[in-house]
Amino acid sequence: MTAVRAITCPQCGGALEVRAAGFSVNLACLHCGSLLDVSRPEVALIEAHDTAAARFRLKPGMRGALFDVEWEVVGALRRSEGSYRWAEFLLFNPYAGYRWLILSEGEWQFGTMLLDLPQGDDDTVTWRGKRYARHEEPGTVRITAVLGEFYWRIRKGDEVASAVFERGGIVLSREGGGGEVNWTELVEIDVDTVEQAFGLSAPKPRRRAAAQPFAPFAATERRENDIPMMFAIALGALFVLLLAMVLIAGPVDSASGSVNAPYAVTREGMKIGTISVRRPHQFVKVKASAEQLTNTWVDLDYSLVDRATGQSIDGYGIVEQYSGTDSDGSWTEGSRSDTTVFGQVPRGTYDLYVDAAAHGWPSDPTAAELGWYSLPTTITVAVRAETGAIPWGNWWTAAFLLFLFPSLALWRQMRKEREW
Amino acid sequence: MLPYVTCAYCHTLILRNGLSLEEVGKVAVLPPDVSPIQLGTSFRIGDALLTVIGRVRWGWADGSWNEWLLSGGDGSEHWLGEAMGAFMLTRARPDLLEHPAIAPFAAGNGDIPVGTRIEVEDVTLTAVDCKDAQCLGSEGDLPFATLPGRVMASIDFRGPDSEAVSIQRDERGPSAWLGHYSELAALAPGNLRKMEGWTIPAGLER
Repeated sequence: MTAVRAITCPQCGGALEVRAAGFSVNLACLHCGSLLDVSRPEVALIEAHDTAAARFRLKPGMRGALFDVEWEVVGALRRSEGSYRWAEFLLFNPYAGYRWLILSEGEWQFGTMLLDLPQGDDDTVTWRGKRYARHEEPGTVRITAVLGEFYWRIRKGDEVASAVFERGGIVLSREGGGGEVNWTELVEIDVDTVEQAFGLSAPKPRRRAAAQPFAPFAATERRENDIPMMFAIALGALFVLLLAMVLIAGPVDSASGSVNAPYAVTREGMKIGTISVRRPHQFVKVKASAEQLTNTWVDLDYSLVDRATGQSIDGYGIVEQYSGTDSDGSWTEGSRSDTTVFGQVPRGTYDLYVDAAAHGWPSDPTAAELGWYSLPTTITVAVRAETGAIPWGNWWTAAFLLFLFPSLALWRQMRKEREW
Repeated sequence: MLPYVTCAYCHTLILRNGLSLEEVGKVAVLPPDVSPIQLGTSFRIGDALLTVIGRVRWGWADGSWNEWLLSGGDGSEHWLGEAMGAFMLTRARPDLLEHPAIAPFAAGNGDIPVGTRIEVEDVTLTAVDCKDAQCLGSEGDLPFATLPGRVMASIDFRGPDSEAVSIQRDERGPSAWLGHYSELAALAPGNLRKMEGWTIPAGLER
């Protein structure tokens, strides 16, 4: 006795097999997605489609052994609740009946329909002597895609009320309302177990998804496969931004000089040089660096003074270096160089003036120290101003913001993987 | 000895009447299915050994199911309903027809809506399924004629601990059945049907 019933799709003429003949009511054609009634000897078309059938991680006809029983995938569903999407696979063995495999965010669950029904209300239920608490607000679950055969009438867009109860690693899922209520027990099942059982080639497809964005997995697990795409988009945007910044930056003009910053007093109005902004607007970068700097900081006040108008654009910089020894050993802090970027500097010729003051840490050196010890009486700070600068800070901020969301998504996924 | 038997070769329904055989008509050819049960499959329920001697296949708007007739050798009628890969083993409980929630339906008046609750032996059962079914075919020995066009109304009640009550009404009148939902393994089956491409799971058969 052969266990499959051969039929032909009345819509596309494709050859199909009914794998659970006698039980299956509806079949969504594997070729064209049309919905067929296979409950009677004559196959009837319920809803015609002529687009390629939806793609799923497991395909009808695949077989695999789980819990010592061989299962055949007979149906696949994609379902959603709000923005949350997942896939469900109907497994069949003529001697063991039906089971479910649920794939949600890379995690698998194995579902068994309950014959003994949990008792309780919408908040807690009791099943086999144990209490289960509701996990999330009850919602409405929608079917967004179907493939293969099912033992009940099914179609895209079907909605059902759903509630989930949990205790430990066991989830009881309640679907339906009124008289028709179905309960399913869901237990976690290792991803490797499922992939080995059904001979899925890629052990960790989502990690490779970036290299193969059109892998079937992409269609199945939208949320996961979004991650490589998110990174790719972020990287692309960052590259475009860099190009734009280089183009906007415009021609380079520079001036450099140095200032000697005295301790404890501010030396004002030291001129570094002259630069010209030749575009309507350009960025101007001022970099300060000090080679000899120990337990000292130098405050730098910059003024870009427009020769034509005498108006000044002001900025601020600091170079600093501290070191010491504590219970964790010796330490150093601070940076001997600092870059300040002036944005939107209008076309014109500018003189750069610097006011500088050095300070000792933890306190300014005394006059005696300044005279007799190794500390120089002034700190020499080299200053270089440059037009056509690329505002790297903005670029890094953009990089951070662009990668923030994909990184969070990746972190969340990896954390989930570690959890089980 | 049950009155009706379906010829396995020519699908003729035959009425046994003493020593004489009467040809009643042709039953529909059973549509192919992948049921693990066949005529001759047996189940160990407690001390009783129940053997499958007949089957009726029923169809309704949203599918179809099998009802297997089991004989315990003592004349008692047991039915094993098979749907969605699960089983419901019942035996007759005519007294349930007198239940106030069921009596009007049994008398031929109206329906029992889904959600109706009944108490049977301190267990509350809820009506989960009410449907009109047509006979799609039969095989083996049966207590009634299964010619095409035979119809019945069927109502299933479920209890919290897999309890099952089934009320049926057809041209012969009403009948009530009490039992349990069960998986195949819990019925300690023997002589299951072999199917190409599938092996019977180890330990399933007793």
